[in-house]
Amino acid sequence: MKTGIFICHCGHNIKHTVDVKKLSAYFRKISGVTVSEDYAFVCSEPGQDLIKESIEKHDLNRVVVASCTPGLHGELFKDVLRKSNLNPFLLRRVSIREHCSWVGDDIEENTEKARRLILSALYGASHYVPLEEKVVDVTKSALIIGGGVSGLSAATFLSRMGMHVYLVEKEAELGGHVRSLKNVWPIGQDGSTIVANMVKDLESSENVEIFTSATIESFVGFFGNYEAMLKTPAGETKIIVGGVVAAIGFSPFDPRLKPELNYGKDERIVTTLEFEQSKDILVLPEKPRIAILHCVGSRDEQIGKAYCSRVCCINALRVGDAIKDKYKDSYVESFYMDVRAHPKGGEEFYEDTQEKGVLFTRSNIAEIIPTPKGLIIRGEDTLFGETFEREFDLAVLSIGMSSPEDSKLIASLLKITLDKDKFFLEAHIKLRPFDTAVKGILIAGSCSGPKDVEESINHGRASALKLYAFLNLGYAIVDPFVSSVDPKRCSGCRMCETACVANAIKFNEEKRVVHVEEAACMGCGLCNATCPSSAISLRGYVDAIIDDEIGALLEAI
Amino acid sequence: MSQDKAEKNPEIIGFACSYCTFKASEMAGSLRLKYPDGVKLVQVPCSSRVDPAFVIKAIFEGADGVFVAGCHPGDCHFIKGNYFTRRKIAALKEMFDAFSMNDKLRLFWVSAAEARRFVEKVTGMYNEIKERKNVRKEN
Ligand SMILES: Cc1cc2nc3c(=O)[nH]c(=O)nc-3n(C[C@H](O)[C@H](O)[C@H](O)COP(=O)(O)OP(=O)(O)OC[C@H]3O[C@@H](n4cnc5c(N)ncnc54)[C@H](O)[C@@H]3O)c2cc1C
Ligand code: SF4
Ligand code: SF4
Ligand code: SF4
Repeated sequence: MKTGIFICHCGHNIKHTVDVKKLSAYFRKISGVTVSEDYAFVCSEPGQDLIKESIEKHDLNRVVVASCTPGLHGELFKDVLRKSNLNPFLLRRVSIREHCSWVGDDIEENTEKARRLILSALYGASHYVPLEEKVVDVTKSALIIGGGVSGLSAATFLSRMGMHVYLVEKEAELGGHVRSLKNVWPIGQDGSTIVANMVKDLESSENVEIFTSATIESFVGFFGNYEAMLKTPAGETKIIVGGVVAAIGFSPFDPRLKPELNYGKDERIVTTLEFEQSKDILVLPEKPRIAILHCVGSRDEQIGKAYCSRVCCINALRVGDAIKDKYKDSYVESFYMDVRAHPKGGEEFYEDTQEKGVLFTRSNIAEIIPTPKGLIIRGEDTLFGETFEREFDLAVLSIGMSSPEDSKLIASLLKITLDKDKFFLEAHIKLRPFDTAVKGILIAGSCSGPKDVEESINHGRASALKLYAFLNLGYAIVDPFVSSVDPKRCSGCRMCETACVANAIKFNEEKRVVHVEEAACMGCGLCNATCPSSAISLRGYVDAIIDDEIGALLEAI
Repeated sequence: MSQDKAEKNPEIIGFACSYCTFKASEMAGSLRLKYPDGVKLVQVPCSSRVDPAFVIKAIFEGADGVFVAGCHPGDCHFIKGNYFTRRKIAALKEMFDAFSMNDKLRLFWVSAAEARRFVEKVTGMYNEIKERKNVRKEN
């Protein structure tokens, strides 16, 4: 074995809390280790060159990079090996940054933990074998789930780039929530006009198939070749797609979850969404008194929604603005925690509404009590520390955005993850905000957290661009981590066959042994853990690798 | 490490699924959440890859505790790997029970988003084992 170990300082990140010099010196003395170096930034060009030159000079056949977590720089170090004519699966990454230097304060303990982690990588990697990178064809078509503004913008982009697009919308009409907004802030346009323009654009494309009143029944396959069964009014349709943009939007918060507000029990208590749709027909006295409640269903730990919904402050301001325009002599009071007038122009709009005469009271609202004469709002003024009760003719609840109704369903079909608020989880909130953990499955719009129209459209277009870049290559490299059977050991008990969810294991009646169909194997390793004869093993995670990693972590070998 | 320190610092081996718990541990690091250095992970593609033999091996070779951690039931990237894990670990626990070692084995569900839960779970397990160790030593 000729192993090269490269220990990264990550500038100060690792070096500050792990003694990298001591580690590289230690590993230089371990048998099987030919090169052991520590370096300021292993991912930098000179860092990569250091690895490359070491491989070439010393004819290394294993490379261990102890640095940041394996999830970062996924392909970068593999590429270094490829360029040095070394099989990329002879690389082992060890996370000494996320697992040592950032989670402990004691440099001695961190260094010891890092030493054991690197040791276990060294032992584990000694059982690695070169694996063949398989190239598979990719279908150049995309499935967009959800026809709101984010899904529409993703679909339009992809079809313009010449990709075949299937757009699936569960409602009878496209457009999502924007379709029902009467006055989209800040442009003042009717939402249905915005949506109609987007739909017209899309419908004029040739390579788009739109399915409305349709849902997804099943979804199987792998990146580049997914197979989805759609249930449409015309019956079931099977489609093959290379990738997916999930854009299923949000659900408006249901204020019934806060019973003290008495929403649903009195017609004079409405949401911003309802106000928007019916403000022209609302019957109000000549000098109406109107209360507007911010943050209904947002920033509220008690109902498990600690996040800010981003659009509801602006919506609350818009209600005040609209009422002041229509009724000069109205009394409008906004009850807020603090005003977060998010996007461009928001702060100015807030000042304008104040000038128009909307009153702002920083407060906690305890309840809304309907009486025949009016609605009594009881709360605490948090600036003056006093409680108050005031009477109004109408209360408008500025509701937040909750996770989409179908988030769990779609997440389990696509095998993607939800965050703690049940929105879709991005692969990395800063570095990979469009991807999910599953290659070729992207997310767009408010299904990954509250967003306004502009942000949803941007998100949709960016996810589409990313998917386009993946699919346009026309091929994909698949991980070779699949199972294989040693027929000499297989007793034909077929326990693995029963366990395999992917139906990848086939029994040969004549030879009384099984084999694995590699294209179908998902690489979970369940069969490996199930086989009583140790006849089946998952490449890259064979028993010997894991056994030795355990042994080395515990210093037992 | 000195003998005394090793005794005070339990060794815990965790098998963490690449798609969820390992991701949560990466995020815990990025968020600079602290947890004891006695906790060390072995990355597996799915919690179902964990052969009970690995757990036993870890105990035999000196681990004070072992945990297997994967995605919440219903969320497995491999469809239902974690249901198999649950069954397997339940059976293994019964065996451990017979040897009065049931406190040494845990199964957690920690999704990729739950960095804090990861830290709470491993720290909780670590502290319990540490306490028990020290009590035993005094007796
Ligand atoms: C009261 C209110 C007022 C607002 N006002 C403004 C404003 O003035 N300006 C502004 O910029 N933003 C505003 N917003 C925000 C705006 O509504 C969102 O930014 C926008 O709707 C997000 O678009 P989307 O495509 O992500 O989601 P959505 O509009 O929710 O669209 C999602 C689509 O997916 C479909 N879908 C859901 N599940 C499935 C499934 N399982 N299969 C197939 N299809 C499915 C839905 O039917 C829907 O058509 C407001 C929001 C609220 C609540
Ligand atoms: S390889 Fe990772 S740990 Fe090293 S410098 Fe680059 S980012 Fe930092
Ligand atoms: S479980 Fe093992 S022995 Fe039984 S059929 Fe599968 S590979 Fe053969
Ligand atoms: S690794 Fe998983 S998918 Fe592949 S054959 Fe084994 S059980 Fe089936």
